Amino acid sequence: MAPVIPYTYIQCPCSDNSAHDNANDTHSQDSVDDDERTFDPRAPRSNYSLYPLEYLLYCEDCQQIRCPRCVNEEVVTYYCPHCLFEVPSSNLRSEGNRCTRSCYQCPVCISPLQSMSMTPSQDPSHLNADGTASQAGTYALFCQYCNWSSSEIGIEFDRPSGIHAQLAKVKNGGEHKITAKEIKEKRKENPDEPPIPDEQLDADLQFSTLKSFYQTQLADTNTAVTGMQFDSVGFSSPAALSRIMSLYTGHGHPGRKRQGPSDVMREALTTEEGLKTVDLDESMAIKKLQQLGWDETASTQQNLEQTEVSRFQDGLRPIPYLLRTKRSKRCSVCRHIISKPENKVQSTRFKIRLVAKSYIPNITIRPLNPTAPPVPTTSRPQHPEEPSLEPLKPYHYIVTFKNPLFDSIKVTLATPNTTPGRFSSKVTVLCPQFEVDANTDMWDDALKDDGRDRRRKGEESNGQLEAGKIWERGRNWVSIVLEVVPASLRLNNQEPGADVDKSPLKEDEDVLEIPMFVRMEWEADSQQDVGAAPGKDRDGREKRELAYWCVLGVGRIHHD
Amino acid sequence: MSKRHSILPAIDRSGPRPPVNFSSSLTISDNAILQGTHSITMQAETVIHPRSKFESHLGSILIGRRCLIHEQTQLGARPADIDTAKPGGVALADYVTIEAGCVIEAGGTEIGEGSIIQAGTKIGSGARIGKVLISLHHLELGVDFSKNCTITPMSTVAPGTVVPDSTVVFSNGTKRIEKRDISDQKKIGLIKQLAVLRKMIRSNPDKFK
Repeated sequence: MAPVIPYTYIQCPCSDNSAHDNANDTHSQDSVDDDERTFDPRAPRSNYSLYPLEYLLYCEDCQQIRCPRCVNEEVVTYYCPHCLFEVPSSNLRSEGNRCTRSCYQCPVCISPLQSMSMTPSQDPSHLNADGTASQAGTYALFCQYCNWSSSEIGIEFDRPSGIHAQLAKVKNGGEHKITAKEIKEKRKENPDEPPIPDEQLDADLQFSTLKSFYQTQLADTNTAVTGMQFDSVGFSSPAALSRIMSLYTGHGHPGRKRQGPSDVMREALTTEEGLKTVDLDESMAIKKLQQLGWDETASTQQNLEQTEVSRFQDGLRPIPYLLRTKRSKRCSVCRHIISKPENKVQSTRFKIRLVAKSYIPNITIRPLNPTAPPVPTTSRPQHPEEPSLEPLKPYHYIVTFKNPLFDSIKVTLATPNTTPGRFSSKVTVLCPQFEVDANTDMWDDALKDDGRDRRRKGEESNGQLEAGKIWERGRNWVSIVLEVVPASLRLNNQEPGADVDKSPLKEDEDVLEIPMFVRMEWEADSQQDVGAAPGKDRDGREKRELAYWCVLGVGRIHHD
Repeated sequence: MSKRHSILPAIDRSGPRPPVNFSSSLTISDNAILQGTHSITMQAETVIHPRSKFESHLGSILIGRRCLIHEQTQLGARPADIDTAKPGGVALADYVTIEAGCVIEAGGTEIGEGSIIQAGTKIGSGARIGKVLISLHHLELGVDFSKNCTITPMSTVAPGTVVPDSTVVFSNGTKRIEKRDISDQKKIGLIKQLAVLRKMIRSNPDKFK
């Protein structure tokens, strides 16, 4: 992800394991050090703990920020992204994780396919001469993007709906697809019939025959070993699974003597059992390649979506849509749900959604004297590009804290004097302690007295940079000034030491990143049952605090 | 009744007026922009949307019969690489649809019959979509080519590319040959579309003469 400068990332405390480990080991001596340890945004591990505010959730019970790494996900519903039908999880087990209605993707370009009539609806005089029109009511799948149609691979349908069932019976080219059930029936009627030739044994059929073969094998072995019937349990039970594992990994429990026949499982030997010999004669494929050329071969990307690898475009089959899920998220510590979407597939709303944005202040950073021209409204998502920072020249930035809470918060900031890393720039926060007013209702505020809550610029700072004073204040926001002196990127400027890294500049090492520790304090209405601790607080208010590291990406330092 | 003003900048009509050769059944909006020094020919039953731009500075422009040119298209645009571009203009055969926002560079660029150039596509100078050479002479002889190429939206066809008949160019230049034979149906659809547009777009060919 290429960050858009300037940016603010917040560190989720969940990945701060090293600090905990150290604290446990040598708690008495190092605890102070640990607390004062500066977060290094350039450390390799930091990549995994820094998130934009929008990605973060907040657990109300732990009163802690939760990132995508420290939540547990649970599937709420499975649905098809094309027809938006919910698929019950029982169907999932029996029919797989693909849509079994009429939702297909183009095998060539993966855009959605539409089933349409092959016969033109208008003027009979414009019917094709080649006879496709004469069969009234044939349908095919059409791709609107790359103009692929299933008639190219010889697949046509009688009905425009229930494509999945129809497609399961047809092979590419329009031939009838043999299923395992049909073979069984044939075998019953005519036991002496030879097994089907290998060419006709496609992947689906081979899978089902192999599956039934191994199922009988397992059942045989298990009954022999334990005298238990496993038919009803199948493979999926953990007991059966451990048994399979013990079969393969040598002889299970060494202490127990095994009885019965050998526990070695036989492999498939005949076509009925799922054996398919590889056809090594590739002259047909080579000839086809010579005739049709490169354009007719299937790409790796296209084959990845197929169940059976095909060398040529005509072997590709329409791809049934993969089902998607809606997931709820739980805090991994206290198991409380912190995000839960509505069950209905069509609804995009959430039943529960505790996002960090409504609990911790939104921190934005912008230059005090912007030099880049403002972006016109028509191309708004684009960000103004500031020129890179001159080394050793002071720069001022306005850092704005916007309070989402309905209580006023006290914010304390701390930054290291110099940024960590090889090139340490000097950082000064001009006002490290301030209070941000509550996020009251905007209309309330406007109706009460609009004079008071206007920007109180002149009141606290008179437009000049002054230590200890905030820069600007609004209804629920406060901005302060941050002074930065970027370091020089010259390697020989570094102080001589034992472990000076003289390697050339790494990627993004020229980005000036400032770690900042934010501690916020506020008084909230006590959520935990008020009656439990009556003596503690008379009016049900309790003090809360939250502290976390964040990283301000200020800009790129100019290479000199 | 007040006239609604467009937020687009006013049409720049400076520059030389090209000699035009219009069919009597042409539908051309008076907001179309025709510029240049070479001739611009537009044949029968073609519909030209407003704000489509035709530049014949580098060569003549030929639009065949029953073509549909959408708005904000730019035919005969100056090639990006003017040094290597061949001389010549743009030639469109019959039943060609150029969708909105396409840029077709000048320099012997040819688009074959029944082709659809979908929205936002850029066709480089000298590209030939549907490989057979088209000229006025061929069209008068009534030679029937079935080109029927489709260039999907936002594609770029490099200068000098030759795209064979019935090709679909999609996803950043991937090509495939379309095998379904529906060119007749496409033509019927286009004729119907043209019939509706003819009623909706006020034609004023005299403005350009």
